[in-house]
Amino acid sequence: MERRKMLALLGVSPALVADSPAYARTAPKAVPKDSSPDGDSRITVMNPAISGKLATRVPLVPPLDSLQDKTIYMINLSWEGPDAANYFYGAMTEWLNKHYSGVKTIVKVTAEGMFGSDPAILKEIIANKADAAIVGVAG
Amino acid sequence: MSRWAKEIEMQCKIPAIGVASSNIVHYATGYVSKYQTGMPIRYVSVPFPFTGQPRAVDVGYVTGKDMLTGQPLMTGVINALTSPLTAEEKISGAPPEEAVEPRFLSPGSEENLRQLFDDKEWTDFNSIILPTEKRVTAMLKGTSHKPDEVIKTINITGGARQLTVEKVAINAVMAGASPEHFPVILALATQAPFGNSTSSMANMVVISGPIRNRLKFNCGTNAMGPYNRSNAVVGRAFTLMSKTAGDLRNNVNAWETLGNTMQYNNMCYGENEEALPDGWDPLHVEMGFKPTDNVVTVGTGWSSIASVGASQSIYPTHFLMRDYMSSFCASGSAATIVMDPTVAGLLKDTHGFKTKAQLSEWFSQNVTKTAASYWGNGVIQSTAVPFALQGLEPYASWRKLPDDALIKPFTNSKAIHVVVAGGKVQTMWFVTDFGIRRGVLIDDWA
Repeated sequence: MERRKMLALLGVSPALVADSPAYARTAPKAVPKDSSPDGDSRITVMNPAISGKLATRVPLVPPLDSLQDKTIYMINLSWEGPDAANYFYGAMTEWLNKHYSGVKTIVKVTAEGMFGSDPAILKEIIANKADAAIVGVAG
Repeated sequence: MSRWAKEIEMQCKIPAIGVASSNIVHYATGYVSKYQTGMPIRYVSVPFPFTGQPRAVDVGYVTGKDMLTGQPLMTGVINALTSPLTAEEKISGAPPEEAVEPRFLSPGSEENLRQLFDDKEWTDFNSIILPTEKRVTAMLKGTSHKPDEVIKTINITGGARQLTVEKVAINAVMAGASPEHFPVILALATQAPFGNSTSSMANMVVISGPIRNRLKFNCGTNAMGPYNRSNAVVGRAFTLMSKTAGDLRNNVNAWETLGNTMQYNNMCYGENEEALPDGWDPLHVEMGFKPTDNVVTVGTGWSSIASVGASQSIYPTHFLMRDYMSSFCASGSAATIVMDPTVAGLLKDTHGFKTKAQLSEWFSQNVTKTAASYWGNGVIQSTAVPFALQGLEPYASWRKLPDDALIKPFTNSKAIHVVVAGGKVQTMWFVTDFGIRRGVLIDDWA
């Protein structure tokens, strides 16, 4: 019986006996090389990578002096759904109210989730003279 | 997230910080800041996973630790909002130029160059053909387009990398392609890079038109298996150019948690147009191309379920397809069914589907799943919940349904595609959740 067929019938992968001479791989053919100008064994090849353009640097807005009496927007990007960030922001609000008097938090769920933009939220932040924002939560 | 925070900082002129798990923070503060936003947004980090956890877990993260610094998370939040800016955070203006990638790499031994290509993650870690100038020049003879022509600027992960005809030729050589494959690969390059997401996407490449026969693409027996050079090298070229032009590197900007083995070849096959039943148009003709046009079509999705054996008269084939399709998330109403010509014949002659479109419409009307199953999918949560919250139908109504209510999630029959391939060896088929983009005319790249 042909050896491969026999092994298959026994439920044995031919790979398990790959070291056996019967399954020894033949040596791969040498890859033809372009000759190098100086005649050595080194070759020159072309680069598949493409230069990336670095983004123009934009500085951060100056930070707050403290959170006291500040209005903080909590932006829910609906990462894999809005529930988890809503739970998280709810607990964060409780913590802030306990530790900082006068902190006001406003949770907003974005219209297009993590994609796109939501000009209405940006307008609202400006109109309400908010002091800071937290964006999330991803993971 | 960083883009959102940047928008708030720039338009509202207030500090904005991000909250994410550490892998995302790593990406956001590294690659995204460098190539996309240019803004060193401050982050605090929660443990992973965050979504899909019981409420108590997510609530507990607030009183837990910031995974970046080890300090209490709320201390991290306060510091991020109130700490003075560092010199790095005050930098503005044009960045110093990144080192330009040279057209040629430094000479080396074949072994060392192979190692370099693997180290740079320019390969799929199978052996490549090294792209010498001679080979690349020969590849370029497969098109009339100039080597320095920019096919597209790839910016999906930042970097605005300009993919030129020459760069595609380099990848085509690496993949083992021949000059006659080059127009197909150039057309495919317009769709690069391939789908790449934490959700571990896969891709499908379908070849249509007379070029299938001229280049001997396999459309018959083993159309999707490793038995044909054209299918192999064209599918592989899509992976290599996606990685090199998209600068996709594991744990840098490629974060597919499981990854997908289909990304090695991207399910590249040709439609068996000659075996289509009368009235069933080839994929590209359904898209409005002429039958004589040569077209490459790319699909993106995640999953493929096989019939696992031949069709049975006890239960009509399209019923079983419908049942299996109900397990898909139906994102974008997308599905692609790949079937052997014998199945297509059965569906037409025995079950009366005179066209592919009729079959797609039947699936749209008959695939159902429970509301809980639909909303229980993460991609749907990310994409359809925002629609529901805006009041868009049917999502707004679906969100109000009880968990066990049945919905018809494939609302758009035009997003359900049918492709016929295979060798008439068995009446089998695959249903997939791949969304098909519009095809690209290969002839434009000859």
